[in-house]
Amino acid sequence: MAELLAQAWTVARKDLVLEFRTRTAVLSAVVFTALVLTVFNFGRDPTAVAATDLAPGILWVTFTFAAMLGLNRAFQLELENGALEGLLAAPLSRVSLYWGKLFANLVFVGVVEAVGLPLFVLFFDVPLGHALLPLVGVMGLATLGIVTVGTLFSAMVIRTRFAELMLPVLLLPFLIPPLVFAVLATARLLSARPLSEALAYLKLLAAYDIVFLGVATMLFRYTVDE
Amino acid sequence: MSLVRKGRVITLVGLVLLAGVYVRALVFTPVERLQGPAQKIYYLHVPAAIWAETAIVLVGLAGIFYLFLKDPRLDRFAEASAEVGTVFATIVLTTGPIWGKPIWGTWWTWDARLTSTLLLFFLYVGYLLLRSAITDPTLRGRYAAVLGICGMCLVPFIHLSVYMFRTLHPQPIVLKPGAPSLPASMLVTWLCSVGVFTLLYIGFVTQRYALSLQREAQGGSGA
Amino acid sequence: MPDVPQNSGYMVAAYLVTAVILIGYAVSLYRRTPKA
Repeated sequence: MAELLAQAWTVARKDLVLEFRTRTAVLSAVVFTALVLTVFNFGRDPTAVAATDLAPGILWVTFTFAAMLGLNRAFQLELENGALEGLLAAPLSRVSLYWGKLFANLVFVGVVEAVGLPLFVLFFDVPLGHALLPLVGVMGLATLGIVTVGTLFSAMVIRTRFAELMLPVLLLPFLIPPLVFAVLATARLLSARPLSEALAYLKLLAAYDIVFLGVATMLFRYTVDE
Repeated sequence: MSLVRKGRVITLVGLVLLAGVYVRALVFTPVERLQGPAQKIYYLHVPAAIWAETAIVLVGLAGIFYLFLKDPRLDRFAEASAEVGTVFATIVLTTGPIWGKPIWGTWWTWDARLTSTLLLFFLYVGYLLLRSAITDPTLRGRYAAVLGICGMCLVPFIHLSVYMFRTLHPQPIVLKPGAPSLPASMLVTWLCSVGVFTLLYIGFVTQRYALSLQREAQGGSGA
Repeated sequence: MPDVPQNSGYMVAAYLVTAVILIGYAVSLYRRTPKA
């Protein structure tokens, strides 16, 4: 197990170093997130609908876009550097390869969300208060679910035609359940309901994560091996 | 008897029996008092939905076995089941709104079953698109299997999430669609319909499977 | 006792659409597959 994790970290670190050396991708993703939030503001009539009603939906659509960006850039990186071939030649377990990529993607999306959340609070005047910690929990679980399936699909889509189009088309149906759970949980938390109400959704998110983390870990080797 | 012929025979029998179900449902099954004649759409809508969903589970199962056994027959079957599943999902998504309009007053509400079937439809389309985007048959089989397995695992979550979302946003339901317990006559009609759709599934899949075989024989890497 | 709603038009439409889809697909398969 320790060996697996160590290998995974090697893989992740390579990606992350590449990523943060130039910082272009992260910055672009952050700016994109801010723009999406801005667009959402103009997309609604403030006199008609209160921000708090739409807020959970806005937050999670924005984060989903951020995740899709992160996944796209991940496989762009592969295409440009041909890094995947090199990694496959190395005596790396496929599980570590997957976990490493997953971790790198999570860090990327996590950074974007860490900037996105305060912006969201600012733009939509959403009082967080005690909801902050549970909300971060929801974000963590939902993002894990999204990136888990996304990382697996990215590995496949890279070898197909029309890859950039294929990834969202394949991935979005898989994102709807975690999205729904996240939105429902966020809505509870933002309206200062007792934590127990959001707990059910957190458990569902956790269930989703466990199932797909397991499935993706087992299936990843079929996307890269003969 | 060749596979194509068997498939055609089964399909033909299925279609003839479908006509029988039509007659039974339209003429010999009583009209439901509250919903009126439109309720009879149920006899087509629900069996189609059952098979739309069963088909994707079969795609997933075939995928699992394909990854272990690498038998191309499993991949051909998965491809066939996916295409047929898409057809049945289309039936659900067309008969659903036609039923919804007189019953709920609107063509589309995000009703649990329709929404689930919509997501199912997207899964099918994605699966077929992925297959069409890969030319190498071994790679295609493997990737399709991975996607199929993930799709199969997603189905329970689809139902959960759609249900959770729905109970929070109650629909403007004027009349409750579908009775929890059908009177005997209606139940028989419904069961007959399920049987016919089963037959049609088998007939369609057999033919579609034969089509894959033929394409492989002809052009090496078919679609 | 309320009247039974008069919505058989929808019933006919749905049955027609289903038949079109199923027969259409059957024909599509028939034409795509080789002579048996």
